[in-house]
Amino acid sequence: MNEQLPAVEVTGLHVRFGDVEAVAGVDLAAYAGQATALLGRNGAGKSTTMRVLAGLVPPTAGGAVVAGHDVRRDPLAVKRVTGYCPDVGGLVTRATAWEHLQLAARLRRMTDWEDRARDLLERFELGGAAHRVTGGFSHGMGRRLSVALAALHDPEVLLLDEPFDGVDPIGVEATLDVIADARARGACVLVSTHLRELAIEACGEVLVLRGGSRVATVSATEMAGEEGARAYRALLD
Amino acid sequence: MPTALSSTDAPTRIPAEFAWFRPVRDVGHLLRFRAAAVRRRSAFRWSALVLLFVTIGAATIPAFVPADDERRLQVAVLMPTAMAGIFAISIVSAIASGGGRELISREQGVAFPVSPTTDHLGALLLAPLNIAWLIQAWVLLGASAYGALPPRLFTAQMVTLLWLALATAAAQVIAWTVEAVRRRPHGIVAMRFLLVGLVAVAFWVQITGRTTTVLDSIPTLWLWVAGIQGFTWGWVSAIVLEAVLFVCLVVLGSIPANLAARRLPHDELRAETDTHTPRPMPWTDLSALLRIDRASVWRAVPMRRGMAVLAVGPGLVAVVGGLPWESITVLPGLVVSGGALLFGVNAWCLDGRGLLWRENLPIRPGTVFTVRALVIAEFLGIASVITILLASVRAGFPTASELTAIACTVVVVTVQVVGASMRWSDQRPYAVDLRSARATPAPPVMMVGYSARLALCTTITGLMFSFLAQVPDPAISLLVAVPCLAWSTMRLLRSRRRWIDPFERARVVTTVAA
Repeated sequence: MNEQLPAVEVTGLHVRFGDVEAVAGVDLAAYAGQATALLGRNGAGKSTTMRVLAGLVPPTAGGAVVAGHDVRRDPLAVKRVTGYCPDVGGLVTRATAWEHLQLAARLRRMTDWEDRARDLLERFELGGAAHRVTGGFSHGMGRRLSVALAALHDPEVLLLDEPFDGVDPIGVEATLDVIADARARGACVLVSTHLRELAIEACGEVLVLRGGSRVATVSATEMAGEEGARAYRALLD
Repeated sequence: MPTALSSTDAPTRIPAEFAWFRPVRDVGHLLRFRAAAVRRRSAFRWSALVLLFVTIGAATIPAFVPADDERRLQVAVLMPTAMAGIFAISIVSAIASGGGRELISREQGVAFPVSPTTDHLGALLLAPLNIAWLIQAWVLLGASAYGALPPRLFTAQMVTLLWLALATAAAQVIAWTVEAVRRRPHGIVAMRFLLVGLVAVAFWVQITGRTTTVLDSIPTLWLWVAGIQGFTWGWVSAIVLEAVLFVCLVVLGSIPANLAARRLPHDELRAETDTHTPRPMPWTDLSALLRIDRASVWRAVPMRRGMAVLAVGPGLVAVVGGLPWESITVLPGLVVSGGALLFGVNAWCLDGRGLLWRENLPIRPGTVFTVRALVIAEFLGIASVITILLASVRAGFPTASELTAIACTVVVVTVQVVGASMRWSDQRPYAVDLRSARATPAPPVMMVGYSARLALCTTITGLMFSFLAQVPDPAISLLVAVPCLAWSTMRLLRSRRRWIDPFERARVVTTVAA
């Protein structure tokens, strides 16, 4: 049992879009200095939960507290402490990569951000495309830039939604490094993915969602190997 | 393993007529696909009925309106020019939209085998769903009915209706040809030279006083005369000629459409691979947001093309027609309405899927709304000012009343249209990719509704200030503008309140980023 207070605490979270219940009672706790994976099939409610934690979608019922800020009462404070990589796109098509970084730095009141931005672009092998409009980026380049944008301001809570989707091995490695760095400096990391192997490589704990609800919370080691694959498969069915 | 057919296998041949008919069938499938996605079916049916009744009304009622013969004759004399006018508008509209609107967007259609011929037929079907085309068509049908009188109404309207179809199909052929040339190496430069040449010829015709001679030699004169002669052999031959030409042009259009489809659109590709020199850090949050929103607008191909057509087109018409200041007041409303239809009516689609990332940035939603409204207003204002500056070349110096009236018109219609755009953007957001010159911010039927409402509102405002431009005291225009602005601002603030609501905003963001 973890004795420290959770950096992210979700209790009885429900999100409805009209007749569709995207999240149906999720509870979770994630801690500073740890990485937690949200695993599950398409439509399990992973991305909607991440959007709630990023302050984008208000909960229909239940609640979520991120770094001490209630997502319902103070979404602006939640946005200040989080770095979010959305599951789809996440880039303004006609702006350059550098313009994205500059806007994020300006609105997050960052000073001396340029070296950090250049370093991130180099780590994700985007240095040569810094001043190109992102509309011409490949899917993988877009994903890599989204992770760099989420990590730019060293957020207290790093929310990565499908960060490995369509990304080449070098990009995967850079993303794993970003997650490791965030953990090392004491940030709480939440990674939503359907790729079990990468989830257990990046995270210490795994939450499995199904049909908008949490069905299991297990350590990454329990999800590893052939046995872990069978256990995961059983949780999905 | 060999996969070729053996001599004993029966060849599976597609019948020739089936292959030929496939694009027509595919258009049917795509229409059903689009119809299935219509959200408010009853509103859609009502809108279709209204369009039908307005068209029938425009084509019949003027024939029964009491008027003297001289006035009917004047209208009848102008008919061939009006027929040529709708042809010109169809050409401009089809060229500006890169060959015509898409029945299915490029992103959605990529998974389906949609042939360029199907795309051409779809664009042809969607061409009338454009308020500029519709208004011109209604005016033409009305003028035709008025000039023909009831005994020859049927014959005249048959000629006019077939002309509308023929002109639209011919415009489509020209637009695809222009697009095919534009996509060749140096094609854009070649087309710009051609455009400058055409404008120069138009000015030369105007300056040398040959406009009437040119208009009299337009072949539409023969068609119109055949239409008002009643059931004669001349009428039959005109109808047959129009019908045959229409079919030929529809078929012919598939050739440049196929040619264009084989080549890559240079301007869109350049827009996607452009690099931009970094600029210094903005001083304020507002200027930072303005900068990225402006980039989304001014770097987009449909917006740049649209701006060129909207701002310059009416201005040139005003110069050629020598419009006086009291008539120029109507132009800003039309320009501003057209500008809003480029992206404003679905303003949040500018960010596309990037809206999800932007929504995580720590900035008050009210500021984001204000910046978006400012960027739309700026775009519309610039278009209006260019039009007015061009129109002023022949209108001379305005009086104080005319100057005040035109300034009030620009401000009032801009605030009206920005208010309506932001309201619709909140109420009915769509996930749209505005990379292509052929993309529209909302489905075609919605675009007709939006454009009709904008055109009605701004034309009434323009006509009101046109009247006030003739009133000696300029203060009257200002006094009338104040309540108009107050009403539009109140509606704009109501839309802002709706956007600030987190549930409403989440609905818009998740829809646009879908």
